[in-house]
Amino acid sequence: MIAKNFHSSSFRDPSGYVFIEDGIIKRVIHPIYFEQYNKLTESGFFKVLFNNRLLIPHQELTYTNEQIVIQPNKISFITYPYEWSFNQYKEAALLTLKLQKYSLEHGFSLKDASAFNITFHNGKAIFIDTLSFDFYAENSPWRAYKQFITHFLGPLVLSYFHGAQMLKLISNFIDGIPVKMISSLLPFKTKLNPFLYSNIHLLAKLEEKHNEDYKGTSKKASLSKKAQLNIIESLYDYIKKLELKETSEWGKYYNKINYSNSAFILKSEIINSWIAEIKPKTLIDIGGNDGTFVRRINYKIEETLVCDIDNNAVDYNYKTLKINKEQFMLPFVLDVLNPSAAIGLNNKERFSFLDRIKEYAPDVTLALAVIHHMTLSGNVPFDKSAQFFSSFSKYLIIEFPKREDSWVKRLLNNKAEFKEHFDFYNLEAFEIAYSKYFEIIENKAIDGSERVMYLLKNKC
Amino acid sequence: MIFLYFDPGLGAMIAQAVVAAVAAVVLFSKNLMYKVKLFFGLVKHNDEKDDVFDEINIKDSDLENKNSSDS
Repeated sequence: MIAKNFHSSSFRDPSGYVFIEDGIIKRVIHPIYFEQYNKLTESGFFKVLFNNRLLIPHQELTYTNEQIVIQPNKISFITYPYEWSFNQYKEAALLTLKLQKYSLEHGFSLKDASAFNITFHNGKAIFIDTLSFDFYAENSPWRAYKQFITHFLGPLVLSYFHGAQMLKLISNFIDGIPVKMISSLLPFKTKLNPFLYSNIHLLAKLEEKHNEDYKGTSKKASLSKKAQLNIIESLYDYIKKLELKETSEWGKYYNKINYSNSAFILKSEIINSWIAEIKPKTLIDIGGNDGTFVRRINYKIEETLVCDIDNNAVDYNYKTLKINKEQFMLPFVLDVLNPSAAIGLNNKERFSFLDRIKEYAPDVTLALAVIHHMTLSGNVPFDKSAQFFSSFSKYLIIEFPKREDSWVKRLLNNKAEFKEHFDFYNLEAFEIAYSKYFEIIENKAIDGSERVMYLLKNKC
Repeated sequence: MIFLYFDPGLGAMIAQAVVAAVAAVVLFSKNLMYKVKLFFGLVKHNDEKDDVFDEINIKDSDLENKNSSDS
């Protein structure tokens, strides 16, 4: 039986599928998975994972001989692996290993280890594929081991050597980065490290060898449970210790901004007064780097999304969130000039950023110190940026740095002989273009800086 | 058991034997180092201050775990 609104990303697993009914995500379980489902429920396995907030909780709606329907708790905004910062990615990898260890100890095993089985919710990574747990067959190796390497260990080790940008690769390799490619991208010295040699280089070699002489007769490899637990634990230890070489520049960011401390405070007071008027439930801060301005909002917003192009800034934000144990904030990596596209089968498996944010429809968008980068570095005309900002939320709080601002001066000077093409970069042109899509409710100059704040309301 | 809907790779199945052997040596030497350090009083406990990630083990409790450092 296939429901009409079968979720477009749910087709790989024969155990069941996800569908959407009245905007609510539900999951059908087929009889093939009944035995596993019953055992997981009755033994309290699911409950322990729910209590530890490691697996998305669900309610059972119907139970018949043909199908079971469950309804998982709603996650308002799904982020994908290519939108995570380094430590988010690391947490997702550790969560997968934690679940596999717990599964093994209780007679189960994760049948897949896709990074897309995880997302971020209430300030932590959470596993969302309820049907991934299968019975553990004695002495069988971990079937999802290779997937774990291509989805998690590979991308993380690549970022260690080449920077966090490597984490974006998975948007082109939806089922993991080919292990041969991981192996070839790693420096030679990694072959001297027994852990990396065995988990990556040897794996690549053996995979290549057995791809060739594979004749469809599956040979059986066996591995004791203890040995598998050793693999899981050594992966956990290694990944837990992995840190990026590039330390965050953003920790120091607010010490080197080009306006005074009083202007900084004034800016956040202006935001606060407008937020108090709008009373938003949800907010997105575009270019919100480490979340500083969102943390200075004294109105209690239910959920805020904070995105930035810089993986380090997002990572710094994420670490701050972990230390403060904040649950209302969801940081992620996003390039406004090239937001995440829709990918996968029929381009419908993973949704584009625009589709997700339109559905989420945050009450207010913050765009602080972004417009000059979009206009002058990205050459995006005001009309185009206004159109973009007007496509998903009702209010826009935007900061406009004038031509006299030192950052703007620098960006304009970079244009050299093309500088005059950017004569349109001024307040009047900005207001005219944005008035097409927004009503200007208020504007306030930030004293002590060359910047002006605007509160705009969407006309559509 | 449910049939696979992705290729687990026969090579990967075989590789796990070697990976497990390496892992056993790594874990053994880690424990040994820990014991040696413990003996000489070199184990530091303040390392975990900035540590935002939990240990691998999941608490087998029926109560809601709100103190997990991952939360």
